[in-house]
Amino acid sequence: MNQDIISRYIGQPAVLPPTLRAQLERAWGSDPVQLYAYGDLDAGLRLSGHWIALGSRHVALARPGKNGDWDVQSVERSRIQAVKEAPGLSANTLRLLGAPDDPPMLVARYTQRQRGAFENIRFVLEEALEGRAVPADDADRMYADAVARPVRDAQALVSGRSSTVVLRLLSYLRPYRKSLFLGMGSAAMITGVSLVPPYLAGYVIDNVVRPAQAGTLDRATAFRMAWIAVAAMGLVYIVRQASAVVRLRLMSVVGEWVARDLRTELYEHIQRLSLAFFSRKKTGSLITRVTSDTDRLWDFLAFGVVDVSLSLVMLLGLSTVLLLLDWRLGLVMTLPVPVFCYLIYRHGEGLQQLFVRAWRKWSRVTDVLSDTIPGIRVVKAFNQEDREIARFDDRNEAVTDEFNRIHRKWTTFWPLLMFAVHATTLTVWIFAVPRLLGTGEPLSAGVFVSFLLYTTMFIAPIEVIGQMARTINRATSSAHRVFEVLDSEPEVRDTQEPVKLEPVEGGVVFDNVTFAYDGVRQVLKGVSFAVQPGELIGLVGPSGGGKSTVVNLIARFYDATGGSVRIDGIDVRRLDTGHYREQLGMVLQDPYLFHGTVLENIRYGLPEASLREAVAAAQAANAHDFICRLGQGYDTVVGERGHTLSGGERQRISIARAILHNPRILILDEATSSVDTETEREIQEALERLIAGRTVFAIAHRLSTLRKASRLFVLENGRLAEAGTHQELLHIEGGIYRKLYELQVQLA
Amino acid sequence: MLPQLIRSPDGRLVVLQQERRIPVQVKLCFPWSEPQRFISLRDDDENEVALVEDPSTLEPASRGALDQALAEAGFVLGVTRVVSIDEEVEIRQWVVETQQGSRSFQTHLDDWPRLLPGGDLLVRDVAGDLYRLIGPDAMDKRSKDLLWSFVD
Repeated sequence: MNQDIISRYIGQPAVLPPTLRAQLERAWGSDPVQLYAYGDLDAGLRLSGHWIALGSRHVALARPGKNGDWDVQSVERSRIQAVKEAPGLSANTLRLLGAPDDPPMLVARYTQRQRGAFENIRFVLEEALEGRAVPADDADRMYADAVARPVRDAQALVSGRSSTVVLRLLSYLRPYRKSLFLGMGSAAMITGVSLVPPYLAGYVIDNVVRPAQAGTLDRATAFRMAWIAVAAMGLVYIVRQASAVVRLRLMSVVGEWVARDLRTELYEHIQRLSLAFFSRKKTGSLITRVTSDTDRLWDFLAFGVVDVSLSLVMLLGLSTVLLLLDWRLGLVMTLPVPVFCYLIYRHGEGLQQLFVRAWRKWSRVTDVLSDTIPGIRVVKAFNQEDREIARFDDRNEAVTDEFNRIHRKWTTFWPLLMFAVHATTLTVWIFAVPRLLGTGEPLSAGVFVSFLLYTTMFIAPIEVIGQMARTINRATSSAHRVFEVLDSEPEVRDTQEPVKLEPVEGGVVFDNVTFAYDGVRQVLKGVSFAVQPGELIGLVGPSGGGKSTVVNLIARFYDATGGSVRIDGIDVRRLDTGHYREQLGMVLQDPYLFHGTVLENIRYGLPEASLREAVAAAQAANAHDFICRLGQGYDTVVGERGHTLSGGERQRISIARAILHNPRILILDEATSSVDTETEREIQEALERLIAGRTVFAIAHRLSTLRKASRLFVLENGRLAEAGTHQELLHIEGGIYRKLYELQVQLA
Repeated sequence: MLPQLIRSPDGRLVVLQQERRIPVQVKLCFPWSEPQRFISLRDDDENEVALVEDPSTLEPASRGALDQALAEAGFVLGVTRVVSIDEEVEIRQWVVETQQGSRSFQTHLDDWPRLLPGGDLLVRDVAGDLYRLIGPDAMDKRSKDLLWSFVD
């Protein structure tokens, strides 16, 4: 997929050219290329192409030479003393430096697009300078992943052809093919019988009314024939409306079933996706896919598919009937139809451009709202209400102008189009009148009346066909958005035969672990440690040092990009993730309570727990007293739109939730950082009960809360800088922990 | 005090501070509103070594060394012609001619071009590269038609 993305979107080679790879490996004595990147800027910052490739002993920079050869500048890695990147707005420069005051050994310039691939090389070289080796990976995969990642993150599928997407969407109708067949049959019936009344009208005029008026048909026969025709018309309308009921009901229900199936499949898939997916996609966008997009697909499947296909049939049927009735007048009426369809299509395209413009201005209106409503305290504190009102008014005015522009366009177009249709009808009259009056080819009044009635039926299918492209585009766009999620693979996946640890003892080992969330910036760089079951480990260090990443990897929210994380000696990637997480608990800085009762929140991880167990957990979490003080006790509804709880109260409910869950490994992520001293004391008490007998990883900025830790790990810049007990770390002269501790003591 | 700057043999900008030579990177504080002023010089740990408020006050040699570094640090692709803009699922696909050569790139559908002081437009692609659409009003008709939805 990554190589598809590079070929389709990026416009640069998807792999290192084989001739270059062969030339390099020959020059390096069969040493394989371990990593490579594509530099897309030259020294003058013009777009160009060159490669930088890394072997175990060499680095090379290659530019296309004459006669298909490559000009290669290769240097030995052992001579490199420093690797420096100078990042710019769009141009980055990587310099491999040798001895001080020597010119750089290699210089490569590249845009942000290439930065991930260059970062991989830089990381390996920097680790080598620190004396650490990074195991080689698949060079092609690493390059393609780094280059394609931004596009893949924005759009998890390479856009397929619309026809493929529509076919895939229609495949969801397969379980309901009986209803679909009946619905389509009813719709076909509506179309067929709609052609009958105009024909009957013409027949009655020519064969009943006019002969009766001329006296060539006796009155009784005329009446009988006329009433039979009226009864036939009545029957036609009854059949038509009965078919309409069947069609509308069946198709709406089938559409609803398909939308339900899509929503279910989508939600189930979303639940299985890894956290990395949710960090790439906005919550609103995912909610829209489950709600609005599936709703739009219902509309398309329930009505669009039938409307479009039957409009085509109707237009063909009408054209055939008109040509059969009178081919000359038929041509006058049918020839402009493709032009009308094209004009409607063009109109839709023009509107699309206006909608993009209006959408842009609409987003500026919503920007003001999403800025100022959550930030209303700041607006008021700085007395900026008038300025914000003026800003909103300006943008509101601008978007109204755009919408009015859209209204001007369509309100001009449709009357003009109708005028053109009427002009066609007028042309039919101009051709028909002489013939009706006896000049030229004879034309009966009945045929002409049938003809006129048929012409009125042209407008609706023309409109549907004209908007067909837009209807299909809207549906395929929604289908793409739904399929994009369905086609996203969870990064964290279980192996074929995952291992179940029963129970988890709590031994945790990090073995030379590296990790990057975005594939560019390494947030963990070769972290190694071993924790025994039952240890309480404090994770400390400056923000951005990698503490949260360590616990994310322990919880297997992500997989390490290098090295391994082992639980009780087993690589977490081999574990049954669901089973493992059942034995893992987390208490976060900002605990999330779901909309539901206090009891439901406490029992979230163990719904079958008894009331006694839930109360005991709440008591242990110092939550029981305040819960009892709530109006409806444990049955009080909390969470979004529910009863408002303080940060400390929510925290204690989350601790009760963790206690009831009874995890073997517990993660405390800044559990007491946002509460007052008294609440902190209560929470600390609750935590001490919670952590007994478990392996605990606790992140805290207030170092005083970690005095009871068995050991403290100090993480800085993605590395484990210091490890030891509180006392041991305090004795390290100039140590990071000691500095942090002294700073906090001074501030206290 | 104004810093003294040189270009070291390895190509990096260096601040001479008493006996010390500190390699620095250039950071533009106001890349769009005042690109030629308020230049922050930062060491490898991202700590500010000096803030050059107005490069014209530097000695000529220092000024020359800084200008060279500024050209790289402030570089963005300058778009002179828009060949096509197509919407796909979740992304907008652009094909453009730039002062540096042809280029295609992708933006998020809800990432709109930003109007810069002076009337140029700035577009950021999904990879983080920046594209400056130079004088959109003076571009050829096709480019202007394509950009119409994105310009006030």
